[in-house]
Amino acid sequence: MTISSNDFIAQSVVALQEAERLRTRKELGKHMPALRTRAVEEFGDFEGLREHVANVRQHALDNLDYYLPQFEQQAIDNGNQVHYARTGAELNDLVLSICQRHNARKIAKGKSMVTEETELNHHLERAGLEVVETDLGEYIIQQAGETPSHIVGPALHKPEAEIRELFLDKHPLGPRELEDPPAMVEEARSVLREHFLSADVGIVGANALIAENGYSLLVTNEGNGDLCANLPNILIVCTTMERVLPRARDAAALVRLLTRSTTGQSISCYTSYYSGPRRQDDIDGPLETHYVLLDNKRSDILASDYKDMLQCMRCGACLNHCPVYIGAGGHAYGSVYQGPMGSVLTPLLSSLEESHTLPSACTTCGRCAEVCPANIPLPDLLRDLRHDESRSKLGSGRWRVSMKLHAWVSQHPRLYQLLTGLGVRTLHRMGRRRGGFSRLPFASGWTQERDFPAPQKDTFMHQYRKQAAQDE
Amino acid sequence: MYWSFDLTPTQGVVDHLAATVILALSATPLRLVQQKDSQPRMSESQQPQASQRFQVHLFVTCLADLFRPSIAFNSIALLEEAGCDVTVPMSQTCCGQPGYNTGDYEATVPLAKQFIATFEGADYVVAPSGSCAGMITHHYPRILEGQWHERALDLAARTFELTQFLSEVAGLKRPIEQRSDVGSVTYHDSCAGLRELGIQTQPRHLLNTLCRADLKEMERTDVCCGFGGTFCAKMPELSANMASDKLEMAQASGATTLAGGDLGCLMNLAGRAKREGIEIEVRHIAELLAGDLATPAIGESSQS
Amino acid sequence: MSDARSDILARIRHASACLPEAEVKLALSRLGAGPSATLPHPDLAIAFLTNVLKNQGTVDIASSRSEAVVVIGKYLYEHHRSRKLVAGNDARLAALPWRDAGLLPRFGEAESGELAALSYAVAGIAETGSIVTCTGRNNPAANNLLPEDHIVIVALDDLVERYDEALDALQSQRPRGINVISGPSGTADIAMHMVHGAHGPRRWHVVLLGHVPADCVEHAQALAGLANERQAEPLPDA
Repeated sequence: MTISSNDFIAQSVVALQEAERLRTRKELGKHMPALRTRAVEEFGDFEGLREHVANVRQHALDNLDYYLPQFEQQAIDNGNQVHYARTGAELNDLVLSICQRHNARKIAKGKSMVTEETELNHHLERAGLEVVETDLGEYIIQQAGETPSHIVGPALHKPEAEIRELFLDKHPLGPRELEDPPAMVEEARSVLREHFLSADVGIVGANALIAENGYSLLVTNEGNGDLCANLPNILIVCTTMERVLPRARDAAALVRLLTRSTTGQSISCYTSYYSGPRRQDDIDGPLETHYVLLDNKRSDILASDYKDMLQCMRCGACLNHCPVYIGAGGHAYGSVYQGPMGSVLTPLLSSLEESHTLPSACTTCGRCAEVCPANIPLPDLLRDLRHDESRSKLGSGRWRVSMKLHAWVSQHPRLYQLLTGLGVRTLHRMGRRRGGFSRLPFASGWTQERDFPAPQKDTFMHQYRKQAAQDE
Repeated sequence: MYWSFDLTPTQGVVDHLAATVILALSATPLRLVQQKDSQPRMSESQQPQASQRFQVHLFVTCLADLFRPSIAFNSIALLEEAGCDVTVPMSQTCCGQPGYNTGDYEATVPLAKQFIATFEGADYVVAPSGSCAGMITHHYPRILEGQWHERALDLAARTFELTQFLSEVAGLKRPIEQRSDVGSVTYHDSCAGLRELGIQTQPRHLLNTLCRADLKEMERTDVCCGFGGTFCAKMPELSANMASDKLEMAQASGATTLAGGDLGCLMNLAGRAKREGIEIEVRHIAELLAGDLATPAIGESSQS
Repeated sequence: MSDARSDILARIRHASACLPEAEVKLALSRLGAGPSATLPHPDLAIAFLTNVLKNQGTVDIASSRSEAVVVIGKYLYEHHRSRKLVAGNDARLAALPWRDAGLLPRFGEAESGELAALSYAVAGIAETGSIVTCTGRNNPAANNLLPEDHIVIVALDDLVERYDEALDALQSQRPRGINVISGPSGTADIAMHMVHGAHGPRRWHVVLLGHVPADCVEHAQALAGLANERQAEPLPDA
């Protein structure tokens, strides 16, 4: 089931009617901001940290022509093979060819938004490979045949009972209770442990690439990333080029921001830096390691006015703080990226034609920008995307014409005051007794869900003018 | 309990214009600013002398102009109490937020220039709306270039939201006459005022000192009410869901009045409260501060 | 290697400032290191222990290597009624006085189903309540991840205040992997319910080795907002 991003409104209405899931999202919307706030307060100079990391990342993006080749050289010196992919399809082909070269049959995969973006799993499965997602949330939605609803907690939309049914159905383990989340986690642990031990290839993403030493950084709480990166004989790190940071200490600064913004932790349980393949005396570790660096329009974004978006660290804070996301749920966005960051990124990575509804899925309340660890001015970027939409005449013609008309009338104060006076006096006469309207033509968007408060007897400008005349 | 009706075609034309204005106005544009120290900082020496009164130009804002003139009249009363000479430029219309927030920057630029030309002679520009003041201080400089950009910045430095101006510049402290009892009030922080202008303590401080209001804070006052300008009409179900959440929290606070500084948010909340049968008086803060409880609350009948 | 590479690099050059290396380095050096987290206590050991506890770890202190072996023995007995332990080929671990606790680890790589693994951290980070191990012969990655319990010794002298200090200290060694561990394996993917032991260890136990005041654990517990939980349970002698 593929949902188009332009179906956002209809899909959000469906999501609002799913009472239990809506309740879960509202819990998330209360709980996660509270955790983040506490972590930020405990940190101390969080604003200073945010500014520092934004400056570092800005510097890294401004000089990506220097840092990306530096990372590449260091990574090669560490024994890695480095590949580039212009498109998702190229990444998928590269990964498949590595797997096929090693006659791989099973792949253990850590959480990776980049491979969600390229739909790598389908590509590998079509070629007959078995792909096992090992992040518990990703595993759940893979088993259920669903897409992620949250960039950090992909299965947060699924109530406990659904996951229980899913496990009872998918794991051939005989009659059992699975009475609570610990029991379900225990079962998934034992099932996935076998997959880790028998996988031929591990695929993980990266939270950062460090130019000065060629390491990649991966943060997880489950430890599944480290298992994927260390147990199978082949490791493939799939990531994008804007993840490059100059120094190891920059990665530390990034982690300070990232985990506090994501879960309110001061650091995630497993924060790991990988340099490359097994060395001479090592008794475990992959024999061969690859980096696949994806562009997929990021170089276009780098050259555009939306460059700030490349600072996004995929923490999910903007989703947790967005009342529109909480209402609509992740699936309504029709994209692997949801919430405010998704509404910016999806049009940039696909096209505005395919997703021009998303930039309007925002009240510009600014809570996302307030908590964004990367200081991305998300509401400004969303508004700028609406500007692009307006210029390419993609959205509703009625709104566009209304806005033009409104602007034109507003530039003619006398006409404006004449028309608004007429309208207001009419509405007042009709609405004063009840105080408002439950239905107004041309305002059905408003009155569908709320009454329209009736105006007072006349516009201020008319009343004031009259008063001034009387005073004289 | 509310009534429905159909307009005749001639009324429809007028109404379409009105509705366009109604629905489009006063969105909440935003650009993050550092939270500044927003404690009132008015020293005795800054108290206006008879000779140095503040020359203020009132930007009525189009929503208040059209739907709730009492906000503007009460704003004038408060500013005059605080020692200001208030001028209302008669050629003012709209700051251009509706077009701006739907992405029509081209249509916004002439309105921004018109606004600057209308108001730049003022010492201070005051608006009873955080989103309108924020439009001028934060967004005009963003869309204007060259000399107009400079003029926008110059005007931005002299533009204030009402409660911000009253507490930070004019230092309105003492109730000049005995206010009527405003009862228990919960305050909704409108997004643009809160995040663009750092308005949070000022209205509460004024409610305390001027009306001795019984302030009852609701949970998560910083979450959007779902208005969002055109958002509320483009995505009504999502918007209503947010308004309902906000009203639930306001009710849970135990306050009898829900106050705020932006009429757009308040109309959204009052309209949703009516639709859901929630009993809570929704009022603009200017009305409470001026002790004007005779005017029916937003969405209430004006005939008893 | 491919056309993709030159294409992408050309596009990046097109969007970049293309500054000379010296200028890039100068700009970078001006950026500094950024602020770190406020420590919960000025004493490094207490701050470290507090943050370990906040990270859902458990702690012991040992003033000598002999005492460290004893507390590890007690821990194993308490949780597993066992003396089985696996440890990497780390000379510091091999040199511990194991006889004092009647223990002898198996040295090598942990296997699935192993009860407990012991690591000797290369550093402890007070800022985050983390321990650092390096993958390789001394500490195979599997030892951090496959057993039910992960026990880590960290020497008081190896504590650092800031997270980036620990990374900078390892720059010259260039280990294959650097594992900064800050708690037992955890997941909240099912109904936002936190469960430990998602894939890796269910418990994470840190033994701080060195001369610290005896009451620093109680101090840390108070700062972490914990009542005397595990530490207060009477332990059988090893």
